[in-house]
Amino acid sequence: MNVENRRYVIIAFIITVGVMYIFRLFYMQVIDDSWSNRAHQISEKRREITPPRAVIFDRNETKIVANKTYFNLMVIEDKMGPDFDTLSFAKLIGWSKKEIHERFAEIVKGEGIYYNRHNDTRVSNYQRIRPYPFLKELTKEEMARIAPHLDGFPGFFEEKTSMRYYPYPNGANILGYLSEVNAREVKEDNFYKPSYNIGRSGIERFYEKELRGLKGVHYVVRSALNNDVKKYENGVFDTVAQQAPSIQLGLDIKLQAYGEKLMQNKKGCIVAIEPNSGEILSMVSAPTFDPNLLVGRKNVSEYYPKLLKNEDKPLYPRPTQAEYPPGSIFKLVQSLVGLQEGVLDANTGFACNKSLVGCHNHPAPSSIQRAVQYSCNPYFYYAVKRIIQQGKEGSIFKDAALGLDLWEKYMHSFGFGEKLKSDLTGLRAGIIPNTAFYDRWYGKHRWAFSTIRSIAIGQGEVKMTPLHMANLAAIMANRGWYYDPHFAKKIGDIPVKSFKKHQTMVEAKHFEPVISGMWRVVNEDAGTAGRARIEDIEVCGKTGTVQNPHGKDHSVFIAFAPRENPTIAIAVIVENAGFGGTWAAPIASLMIEKYLLKDCKSPEKETRVLEAKLLEP
Amino acid sequence: MRKSKSLINNLDWPLFLGFISLIVFGLITIYSVAFNEEHPNIFSFSEKYGKQIMWIGIALFLGVMVFLIDSDIYKKFAFPIYLGTLSLLVIVLFMPPINGARAWLGVGSMGIQPAEFAKISTALLLSKYVSSLNMRELSSKNVLLALLILLIPMILILLQPDAGTFVVFTAFFFVLYREGVTFDPFLLKFVNLIPKVRFKQTWLGSHFIPILFVFVFLSIITLLFGEKNIPLIPGFKLYGSVGIITTLFIMGAVCSFFVQRFGLKRAKSKAQFIIILCFILGSAVSLTVEKSFGSLAQHQKDRIELFLGLKEDPNGKDYNRNRAMAAVGSGGLLGKGYKNASVSSVKTNHVPESETDFIFCPFAEEWGFIGSFFLVVIYIFIIVRILVVAERQRSQFNRIYAYSVGMFFFYHFAVNLGMNIGFAPVIGIPLPFFSYGGSSMLSFSIMVFILLKLDSQRRHVLR
Repeated sequence: MNVENRRYVIIAFIITVGVMYIFRLFYMQVIDDSWSNRAHQISEKRREITPPRAVIFDRNETKIVANKTYFNLMVIEDKMGPDFDTLSFAKLIGWSKKEIHERFAEIVKGEGIYYNRHNDTRVSNYQRIRPYPFLKELTKEEMARIAPHLDGFPGFFEEKTSMRYYPYPNGANILGYLSEVNAREVKEDNFYKPSYNIGRSGIERFYEKELRGLKGVHYVVRSALNNDVKKYENGVFDTVAQQAPSIQLGLDIKLQAYGEKLMQNKKGCIVAIEPNSGEILSMVSAPTFDPNLLVGRKNVSEYYPKLLKNEDKPLYPRPTQAEYPPGSIFKLVQSLVGLQEGVLDANTGFACNKSLVGCHNHPAPSSIQRAVQYSCNPYFYYAVKRIIQQGKEGSIFKDAALGLDLWEKYMHSFGFGEKLKSDLTGLRAGIIPNTAFYDRWYGKHRWAFSTIRSIAIGQGEVKMTPLHMANLAAIMANRGWYYDPHFAKKIGDIPVKSFKKHQTMVEAKHFEPVISGMWRVVNEDAGTAGRARIEDIEVCGKTGTVQNPHGKDHSVFIAFAPRENPTIAIAVIVENAGFGGTWAAPIASLMIEKYLLKDCKSPEKETRVLEAKLLEP
Repeated sequence: MRKSKSLINNLDWPLFLGFISLIVFGLITIYSVAFNEEHPNIFSFSEKYGKQIMWIGIALFLGVMVFLIDSDIYKKFAFPIYLGTLSLLVIVLFMPPINGARAWLGVGSMGIQPAEFAKISTALLLSKYVSSLNMRELSSKNVLLALLILLIPMILILLQPDAGTFVVFTAFFFVLYREGVTFDPFLLKFVNLIPKVRFKQTWLGSHFIPILFVFVFLSIITLLFGEKNIPLIPGFKLYGSVGIITTLFIMGAVCSFFVQRFGLKRAKSKAQFIIILCFILGSAVSLTVEKSFGSLAQHQKDRIELFLGLKEDPNGKDYNRNRAMAAVGSGGLLGKGYKNASVSSVKTNHVPESETDFIFCPFAEEWGFIGSFFLVVIYIFIIVRILVVAERQRSQFNRIYAYSVGMFFFYHFAVNLGMNIGFAPVIGIPLPFFSYGGSSMLSFSIMVFILLKLDSQRRHVLR
């Protein structure tokens, strides 16, 4: 038998194997990228770094929203080791042994949960080698107590996080608060991961995208034990986390703080606007709370339910959501419409006929100025009747419908009955009743002015928010136009330009007689708001006393100052406090004083207001 | 002077340089994988690269010693050497186990593995015994004795247990096949019982070894591609035995074409016949395996699938292979660059044993397909070169020994690389001259230097 040729069989076999291996290697390394993907999956970690949120300044460059460093106590179960001393750890953090076991169970069940976009399920992906927060949001002091002893507990380590801090305990209703994202938000926006915070209300919510900044992504080569080994590709793909540029608000925090102080033990609002820019200087919602109460999971879960249950509703943002009948301040608007429509002129006088509508005792309203000054109800009954029923139609019903349509247009040009454009969320529109409204109520052409007369003096169906009222003050100050009232002044170095100027349907020339009336309200003894008088400053204002079916009248006052080139327009509502001139007017004047003179020149007035306790028992 | 000059002239330089290049590439890879910033010097003996250099030094020293010893003694003392290593294999069974196997003899990290040296002594004794046989009248007793020489160390090694070395010992079957020592005498006994039949040989008996290997190989391939699409023809999906048979058909057609075009005239028809026969047999095997696997019970299937790495269990039993294949596959065409292995470096430690049994991983990851291609070419070159050297020996003893060395190399190469690319189950055997480790370095060096020594003296006498 010839076995010599068998060498070729063997050599052929060896070469075949070699060729097969080369083909296989070519397929694995060059053609098929699934192994390469697997390698990325195994050896790389994508770590997202969230920057601290942008800080917020007030109009005087005072920092009003900042960040504070907090610590999470992290744990990696795999590194804990077998001789973890539960008892001494419990002692260290001041827990019971049972609580610690419960927390571990909770971490395994809850912290690892992530939302799987692809199959729409929530999966717990708890892994022993990954770090999870054992204790969250410890302060520096709390951490300093624990940290020195952590060496005895392998697997535990501290991790810095950043949370909101409000240097002033004011403006909670403006600034809003943060809380953890929910599953839907995580699903909708790639930015968020479970346990991230998101702005829930106020400025924090409206400017969420501007405040959150740019996330940084670091790619790290990780080891089989999940430790970082080095940067992937020397970090060429890494991006740096960028904190968003700071936001400057038109808010004056000192004024805001003063306003909140004045409103203590009262229910109501103060809204102050810089008329020529529409920037909101102050927006007090009383009663209020310290925004620091709603920072962090612990605080939110402790205080939020308390605030929610509080009978005085501190969480309710009154300035933008409470709708009040405007009361007598509405007479300003009626006067302006009458003048613009030509149904009145500056010197039109009516008798104070108390049989038509109730009034207080005052000199005869011989002109618009006087009518405003005395806030004469019958006067405006006549005036508004002229607006609504101009006699263009024979039937008073048809005439009234026509007139109300026109009047409604005027009202919308003042922003009433509309949600004002602002950088706050949840604004309410208020109510301006129109023909459709009354048709539904009484039937088509079944009503005339006398039916709807209460709108003449701002009662009845008309409703507006305190923001609308302050905006009216701004319109008066500007003689006919307004900017969308808003907070943001600058984002970074770029002035905010997205808020528009609106022109009302009333020409500037018609404002002077009404403003004269407003001046008299404050500065003449027969005016209704003598308490709003300030030495050296020409304050123009108008009181309102809003009938309230639930209790005592609301005290309302709007004003602007100074008379020429005004820099502040303000509205004050004190709920259940009675006559507008008694409480709302002095509060407004103190605010104006504070803003224009930076000081209080009338301490008795201030003391009277501060000591007043106007909360209904 | 004359002697050393003749040594330089007679040394097989291609083989020698092949080994040196493997040692150098191996050292470079170990330096990359096990690199420690605190001891950046390649000669720092506290690190694995320093130790590897030390082992290389010892190996070269032993090589010189081997060259100084007269090559006659290997044949003369083959039996005592064999008995010596057998006794070591017995002693080692009473040593405390390391990593679950009683494979190490010695103290601490300076131990040796007798199994490594058993390969050499078995090769020497087998060479001596087979070269003494009369091939024309091979009795079944001869075959039995030859098998016994193999089986005794194999059983002792299995007792350690050391599956890797056990598998490597089956390399001797190729050697026996080459020498014509086959199972034919057994088969003939049965065949010749049939009246009027007097065969001198049977085709099945004399080619039993390669047929068995092809059978096992095809079975594994069939199972491996049982449910996977074989990416042979783009756009067509070929599964299981259909895919295998198609592949075989294409390979057969190509072979047939080459035979027709370049083959010798008188051998053409015979070669074509063999090709057709191989194709039919291969297809039959593939179909049979698929059908019989389908009829197995589920737990049996599971066991086989796990062994073959078919079951996806990337974090469990399949961890090593999964990580290794990811490392190799992520190398791409040009690799990630030296010292840039991110999956298989010791620091990340995703691939265990990446400086010893899985050293191909970091190499393939850092040098990509280009690197792995050259490494496969170097190994195949060395193996084929050893077989060429074997065939030029005048002495049958030398040839059998050289064949043994060649087949050891082939086994280590094929199994080690195979487990990195999913072609072989994970069996811990080192890549010769490449992997970190003293035992493998020393035993392969001695084995190869004996071969070089025998080869350099091949003209001296006719043994």
